Amino acid sequence: MDVTLAQAALPREISLSEFLFSAELWTRDDGILDTLVDTAVLCGAVVLAATLVAVPLAAYLAHHGRGEIAVTWMVTLSRAVPTLAVAALLVPVSLRIGLGFEPWPIFIALLLLALPQIYINTYAAIRGADRGVVGAARGMGLTESAVLWRVEAALAGAVIMTSIRVAAVQVIATEPLRAFLGGDGLGRYVRDGLGQNSPSQIVGGTILIGLFAASTALAFRGAERLALPRGVTRLSSNAT
Amino acid sequence: MLRTFARRLRVLTVLLLLTLVAAACGGADESTDAAATDAAASDTDASDAAAAPEGPTIRIRGQDFSESATIAQVYGQYLQAKGYDVEIVAPAGFRAEAVAGLQNDELDLIVDYIGGSQTELAPDTETSDDPDQVIEVITPAYEEIGATVLEYSPAVDGDALVVRGDSEAETISDLAGMDLVFGASAQCFERPQCFLGYTDPDIYGIEFADTVTLEFGPLLGEGLAAGEVDAVVWNTTAPQIEEQGFKVLEDDKGLHPAQNIAPIVMTDVLEAYGDQLSADLNTLSAAITTEDLVAWNVQTDIEQREPDDVATEWLEAEGLN
Amino acid sequence: MIPVLAQSAQPFFRWSYLIDEWDQIQAALLQHLQLTVLSVAAGLVLSAMLAATALRYRWTTTPITSFTGILYTLPSVALFALLAPVFGTQAVATAVIPLTMFTLLILVTNIIAGFQSVPGPVKDAANGMGLTPTARVLTVELPLASPLILAGIRIATVSTIGLVTVAGIIGQGGLGRLIFDGLNRRFDTPTIIGAVFSILLALLMDALLLAASRAATPWTRRARA
Repeated sequence: MDVTLAQAALPREISLSEFLFSAELWTRDDGILDTLVDTAVLCGAVVLAATLVAVPLAAYLAHHGRGEIAVTWMVTLSRAVPTLAVAALLVPVSLRIGLGFEPWPIFIALLLLALPQIYINTYAAIRGADRGVVGAARGMGLTESAVLWRVEAALAGAVIMTSIRVAAVQVIATEPLRAFLGGDGLGRYVRDGLGQNSPSQIVGGTILIGLFAASTALAFRGAERLALPRGVTRLSSNAT
Repeated sequence: MLRTFARRLRVLTVLLLLTLVAAACGGADESTDAAATDAAASDTDASDAAAAPEGPTIRIRGQDFSESATIAQVYGQYLQAKGYDVEIVAPAGFRAEAVAGLQNDELDLIVDYIGGSQTELAPDTETSDDPDQVIEVITPAYEEIGATVLEYSPAVDGDALVVRGDSEAETISDLAGMDLVFGASAQCFERPQCFLGYTDPDIYGIEFADTVTLEFGPLLGEGLAAGEVDAVVWNTTAPQIEEQGFKVLEDDKGLHPAQNIAPIVMTDVLEAYGDQLSADLNTLSAAITTEDLVAWNVQTDIEQREPDDVATEWLEAEGLN
Repeated sequence: MIPVLAQSAQPFFRWSYLIDEWDQIQAALLQHLQLTVLSVAAGLVLSAMLAATALRYRWTTTPITSFTGILYTLPSVALFALLAPVFGTQAVATAVIPLTMFTLLILVTNIIAGFQSVPGPVKDAANGMGLTPTARVLTVELPLASPLILAGIRIATVSTIGLVTVAGIIGQGGLGRLIFDGLNRRFDTPTIIGAVFSILLALLMDALLLAASRAATPWTRRARA
């Protein structure tokens, strides 16, 4: 019975501060905290998968100077493909093959959102790596793969990190669509607020999503400062 | 300096082009609207020139699912054929948005399910499966926002708790010991006539193993067919129920309210037309049956035809246009 | 009571829909374009003011860019849902306000970067020629900043075209209406048309704006050649 009660709707007249600051709403089973973790896991998996696919592929192709045309088209396509349509069309397919409402339809749709973003920027950054530095590395007798991974990738690191951060923010801001397709996640509060005519749930949900996205961006910025080699930071600050 | 001027000219030209595109879009849109109303007007001149009613434009909009969209088309096209100045707006939102549309002067006419109207406008009142009692509750509630409820139609699209065809349950009470996964839209979970009533120990007292919030529509049937959920709250006229061999459970404790459809008109618009508008609308409402609703839904959701075409054909077949 | 199901297996794409429902498609395309142009235009005006403030009073740069950054993190679905009861679902403002908010980050960033890319010596030369600050900004700095500004407009336009579809949830959204209609009825044809046409529209606007920005800034090509 507890499970059922926990999933009952919040009262329609709930105020925004009650929604955001009630310890009970945060910590209960399937409460805000659980939902946040749920969202974080899905978004994290999407961004990780996108990074693992896009960065090596783009780096390899850029190093060998291939696939330039694909990039220019992808820039536009990645921004214009309606994520909702992709996810919603995949839901019946996923149900029919027994995979349920979640997580594959929304995972694939979000992956399509994040992949091009990271791919395009990695490609451009590797292509744009300082030719003088790269030439010097070759002159020092580094192998081609060492040139790519130890020099070009390091030089492009800042741009690649930025693109992963931007992709992560986009994924978090788009993930709420999932709630409209048989899933939960932070978008559930927006969905419930919309269905139950309760603005404080919509506003509260929006604030939670915005805060989550903003703190993710901040965390990435912190990681960027720590992770980039000092030499690269100096190089790029000289450049600007 | 001359070259700078040439550059600025180019920049300006580009900006101008963009503005023109914007203006053209705005202009084109208005002209098509005008053309559409002209066409509608000339249509009616031909068919019913004698008694073209004079009054304000009647804006009607369906909710965002096929049945409501078709109903809006049926009422809208019917009034157009009678010579009224009607604007059929693209469907949007659900009941809350429909009522809000009346309140903030976006709409003049909606057609709603009366039991749904009651749960929206007077959530704390006792519901009933007798349509007259429901009308008694919603009439004053709509009066408060300046709208009038006209006579309800015999056509009913009731709430339905739906299970797979192989389920052993026949009535909602049978679900009590079955430990099922329950699926419904967000609205249901806060309503006494829905989730709260099913789980209330004093009414049905069902304990569900889990709940899933699903957008109202085909997702309900797909989830049910895939076994992701075991019981969903749908509507009795959903054509997928028959198509996929689902079963509507009997509401043995009379929890679900009466859900006849009824037109709701802004009172000032209604009065501007004298008695004619209410008489015309009552004639139409009386002609629509539950079977018609099901047939429309089969055409729009299974045969994938457009609501406006379905409405036109039905009005022709009934001789109402 | 229920007619025998003639088409339980629907074709993947029904071509006749393109012809039969062309009116609907055309209206959706026009609304899509209209919402996009309005939002980007409003975004451009606001961004110009914000960027001007940031460039004039340096200390405001961080607050302004953080603010536009935060706006960008908000989910579009939620903003449409929030504004619908305020302005009404039919109101253009309900769709345009959130769409405008999302253009600000890209436009403000690019306008600021554009003006910052103007080399100091060029400004000194302009001052030396006796230009007033206003004249300097309009005749010297704006043209030099325009490649980055135009690039920002391109990105903002294409992103907005993609986002407009989400406004289908409140019954607007141009091609988004077709997407939602198809989803509601499990009728794939309108959904695919809505998605494909919005992609095509984005590609077309991208190409047009690229051509326009090349025409407006011919020196960028000359410098490269």
